[in-house]
Amino acid sequence: MNDDLRQNGSENEEQEKPKEGQSSSLIDKIQQLGQTNVPQLSQDSKIHCLTIVGQIEGHLQLPPQNKTTKYEHLIPQIVAIEQNPNIEGLLVILNTVGGDVEAGLAISEMLSSLSKPAVSIVLGGGHSIGVPIAVSCNYSFIAETATMTIHPIRLTGLVIGVPQTFEYLDKMQERVINFVTKNSNISEEVFKELMFAKGNLTRDIGTNVVGKDAVEFGLIDSVGGIGPAMKKLNELIEINKKNNEGIVQ
Amino acid sequence: MILYTMMPQELIYQTEPSEFNRQKLITYEGIPLLVQMDEGQTCTVIRVMSSNPVHFMSATCFPGAKITLA
Repeated sequence: MNDDLRQNGSENEEQEKPKEGQSSSLIDKIQQLGQTNVPQLSQDSKIHCLTIVGQIEGHLQLPPQNKTTKYEHLIPQIVAIEQNPNIEGLLVILNTVGGDVEAGLAISEMLSSLSKPAVSIVLGGGHSIGVPIAVSCNYSFIAETATMTIHPIRLTGLVIGVPQTFEYLDKMQERVINFVTKNSNISEEVFKELMFAKGNLTRDIGTNVVGKDAVEFGLIDSVGGIGPAMKKLNELIEINKKNNEGIVQ
Repeated sequence: MILYTMMPQELIYQTEPSEFNRQKLITYEGIPLLVQMDEGQTCTVIRVMSSNPVHFMSATCFPGAKITLA
C-alpha cells in the first residue's frame, strides 16, 4: 500500500513539477505522509502529553537506531509543565520495555511529586521499570491487551564484588518495591510474590500481568484507554481547581 | 556466534561515534524535534519531542517531513 502511494506521488511529481512550485510542496507532503492536511487543534492545550516509549536510557547512550526515552529530555519537560500556569494536567502514555533503574525512578519521582493532576495509560507494554512510572501518576489506566512484566532488577554492569553487588542489588530493589507499594494499591507481599514467581517467564523469575490482572492485583487503578483517561484527567483538574480556590479564599 | 556474558550488547559492540552525530535535537518554529541530518541543509524529522499535543498537529513538522534549516 505504501508502495502504491509512493508510485502515485512520483507520477504526479513528473506530471506537475514543470507547472508550478506550489504544487510540488503538496507532492512533497503526499510523499512524506500520504496525506495533505492534518486536523488543527486550537492554539492552547491545557493538557500536555508525555510519551514514554522504547527503552528508558540511563547513563549509557544507546545507538541512534534504538527508540529511547531520555531522562535529560523528560525531566526539563516535567519542570516546564509544573511551572507553566496554562498547563492544568498531564497525560503520560507508556509503551516501554523498561531500562535503566535510576533513570526510571527519577522520572517516576518527578511525576509523583508533580502538583498538577497526572493520569497514565499503559498501552502495549509497561515492563520492568515502566511499572513505577505507570503507578507514579494520580490515576493509572491500562489497556485491556497491555502487559506489564514484574521482575527483580538485574545488573548488567562491571561490578564484580559478590557480597557488595548483592547488597547493592537488594537495596536498589527495595527502592523500586517501596515506590510501587507507596504509589499504588498493591501490597508489598503480593508485589514481591509476583516479582519472584517461578514458571511464568521463560528462564527467568517474575510475572507478566495483562490488563485486567494488573487492576486485580491493585497495581493499576482501572482498565481503559484514551477516552476514560481524558475523562478522569478532566475530573482531577476540576477537583484540583476547587482545592486551589479554597486556598486562595 | 553466541556470547555468554552479562555485559550489555552496547558495551561489547560499541557504536561508531559518528553514528551519534547523525541525529540532532533542534527547535524548529518553536517545536523541539529530533532530526536526522541529510546531505546539505535539509533534515528529516524523526520524532517530535514536545509534550504539547498542538505541536503534533503541525502541518510542517511531523515524523517523515523534510525540513530545511536556515
